[in-house]
Amino acid sequence: MTTLPAMDRPWLRPAVPLWVLLPALALLPVMALLPQLIHGGGWDLLGRFAAAAVTPSLDPLVVGSALQGLGITLGVALLGWALSLGLGLALGLASSRTVWWTWGAGPAPAGLIRRLLALPRSIHELLWGLFLLQLVGLQPAVAVVAIALPYGALVARVTADLLDALPTRSLDALRASGAPPGAALLTAIGPPLLPQVLSYGGYRLECALRSATLLGVFGLGGIGTDLRLTLQSLAFHELWTSLWLLLAAMLLLETLVGWLRRRWGMPGRLGLKRASVGRRGREILLTALALLPLLLWTAARLEVRPQDLLQWQGLPGLGQGDWSGVLALPWADLIGTTLVMTLLAAALAVGVAPLLLLLAAPWGWARAALQLIWALGRLWPPPLTALLLLFLLQPGLITGALALGFHNLGILGRLLLEAVESTDPGAEQALRAGGVGPRLALLYGRYSRLARSYLAYGAYRADVILRESVVVGLVGATGLGTQLLESLSGFAWDQIAALLAVYAVLTLLGEDLSDRLRQRLLVV
Amino acid sequence: MLELLDIAVTGRVVAGVTRPRLQGVTLRLQPGDTVALLGASGAGKSTLLAVANGLLEPTRGAVVWQGEARARSGRRRRRQQARIGTLWQDLRLIEELSVQQNLNAARLAAWGWPRALLNLLLPLETEANVQALRQVDLDPGLLGEPVAALSGGQRQRVALARLLRQEPTLLLADEPLASLDPRLAQDLLALLLAQAEPPRALLLSLHRPDLIGGFSRVVGLRQGRVVVDAPPSAISPQDLKALYASEPQVGEPQ
Repeated sequence: MTTLPAMDRPWLRPAVPLWVLLPALALLPVMALLPQLIHGGGWDLLGRFAAAAVTPSLDPLVVGSALQGLGITLGVALLGWALSLGLGLALGLASSRTVWWTWGAGPAPAGLIRRLLALPRSIHELLWGLFLLQLVGLQPAVAVVAIALPYGALVARVTADLLDALPTRSLDALRASGAPPGAALLTAIGPPLLPQVLSYGGYRLECALRSATLLGVFGLGGIGTDLRLTLQSLAFHELWTSLWLLLAAMLLLETLVGWLRRRWGMPGRLGLKRASVGRRGREILLTALALLPLLLWTAARLEVRPQDLLQWQGLPGLGQGDWSGVLALPWADLIGTTLVMTLLAAALAVGVAPLLLLLAAPWGWARAALQLIWALGRLWPPPLTALLLLFLLQPGLITGALALGFHNLGILGRLLLEAVESTDPGAEQALRAGGVGPRLALLYGRYSRLARSYLAYGAYRADVILRESVVVGLVGATGLGTQLLESLSGFAWDQIAALLAVYAVLTLLGEDLSDRLRQRLLVV
Repeated sequence: MLELLDIAVTGRVVAGVTRPRLQGVTLRLQPGDTVALLGASGAGKSTLLAVANGLLEPTRGAVVWQGEARARSGRRRRRQQARIGTLWQDLRLIEELSVQQNLNAARLAAWGWPRALLNLLLPLETEANVQALRQVDLDPGLLGEPVAALSGGQRQRVALARLLRQEPTLLLADEPLASLDPRLAQDLLALLLAQAEPPRALLLSLHRPDLIGGFSRVVGLRQGRVVVDAPPSAISPQDLKALYASEPQVGEPQ
């Protein structure tokens, strides 16, 4: 009798398909704690909210106002996105080591610019919006710039990362043959970089629509403002008018971006298929040129006047800081709850999406229903979900985590579905042909293949959720966000500065951690 | 055992012409049958195997499994499919899992969820897996290895061991010898033929007519139709020539 070799392996080592489901274990504590959080009333309100979904108001006045709000949100998203791309590409080149090498300089300036960009990146667009609101007053340009600053810094980081990861052989060859640096970069690096940057840019446009909606919730105009006002006045029929319109716009945009990505041969977001080199360069150029008049027209319609941004108001209450007061804030508690809320939300979003997809696997209609729920999750800004949850639950960490989790579930769910559809169906088909049920075939056949890239994206998402945790502060969830909004309304600039600094440090630490995790996941 | 009766599969529409992939194919398999499926590329061999294992639904005709019509869906269909094992040309192993987990994946149709999940946590049914590896001349020490770490020849054998672990009554194989050197091809073919003792049967598609000697029957497909169905001794060089003669594209007006 030979020894049984597999027994020598350590026990209880979960295999890859289980990895994607393990985060869903976070449901257990949530389920255990939820009954204590339910405060009794509110079911009828929630029922009225759900029922209104099928009877949205069709009053021409309501529809007209929702359309107008949607127009503003779309305009803000488009302008903020375009500005961030311009900024991001320029700063991305400036923070790329390859670019500095090509010009014969060392990598030091690239590193410095990269570090400087970490600050605008670590601050959520909502905080930029609220800060600019204090600085220059309410005007359309505020929302645009609030989106463009952090997005620009993010695009810069991604561009520089992509650029520096490209092989430099052809660049070296061109330089050795005497080509000037600019021309060499454009020829050697441009073609492989373009499809990746465009693919990422398309994704940022989808994000920009979500951000523009969120900024609206906090009073910066557009359909978000309508959503919040109708929710707070319990005008659910009017609320659903806006919601359905926004959903239609978002799905149209996502379809358009997806279609262009395929048409132009851009890589998908999880990169499960071989990176593509891109197609139809002339068409891309023409589209970019056609965007210019559209942007100018949008800016004119929204009455965005850049020069108004230069007229700063004095910031109220800016004086001597009460630093002992700042120190007296319950920092450990604030940071602790923020981190726990982030982790819980991330685990829920990352784990529940594959779990739901497995449960829905045998039925086409269930998958379609999931897609609709996920679309609503992406669309519905987390603070509004939190407000809705407050009909049933007490404010607190779990309520905040559920709101953040639901929103990110929508984003991850869609990504997961895209990944499932783009992995090789062979293994799953083989299992199905051998009589295995649809759920197990999906788990073994496809989740095995996509687990690593999906979780790597989940790690990135956790980092985004940490940044987003500030936005559920509105509903008095808990953590740094709540304290920040309190300090903002009290014009306590010393506290605000300290809170922003802590947020920035946390975000950067989180970013570093999630980067390491991602790298470990992607190395097989 | 398996009866394919008057099977037709409509293909894709190419340049306005629908190209049938199978037309009026009738094939009966009995326990102990070892059938070599011959035909040029595009003759319909893979399509026929896909109809046999239930991956593809025929547009016309009936599939009868052990005397009863094949269920269209549900548990009964899956129970029927579990008795038919396929060795795929591209193997279709789960690269990210260990050899052990891949072999156990062949038992998933019989297992419930708890065992299927446990298989992703602990080594299960090691004894049976060791035996399956021995049957295909593989070192049992490979059980814990990830499939991605194996060589081409080892993977081929793991795929065969997985097929054995399924304990199928009917073995299907889609050009399993295509990418193997002559000696390995001979070995694998001998292994497969040895597995097809009654009550089992084997249906194997082949691109090398020189290897049909060990089979009990040869079925020749041309343009989606059965044109030969006879023991190997009755197959003449002319028959083979006709099977592989350059032909008008399937579906073109003749």
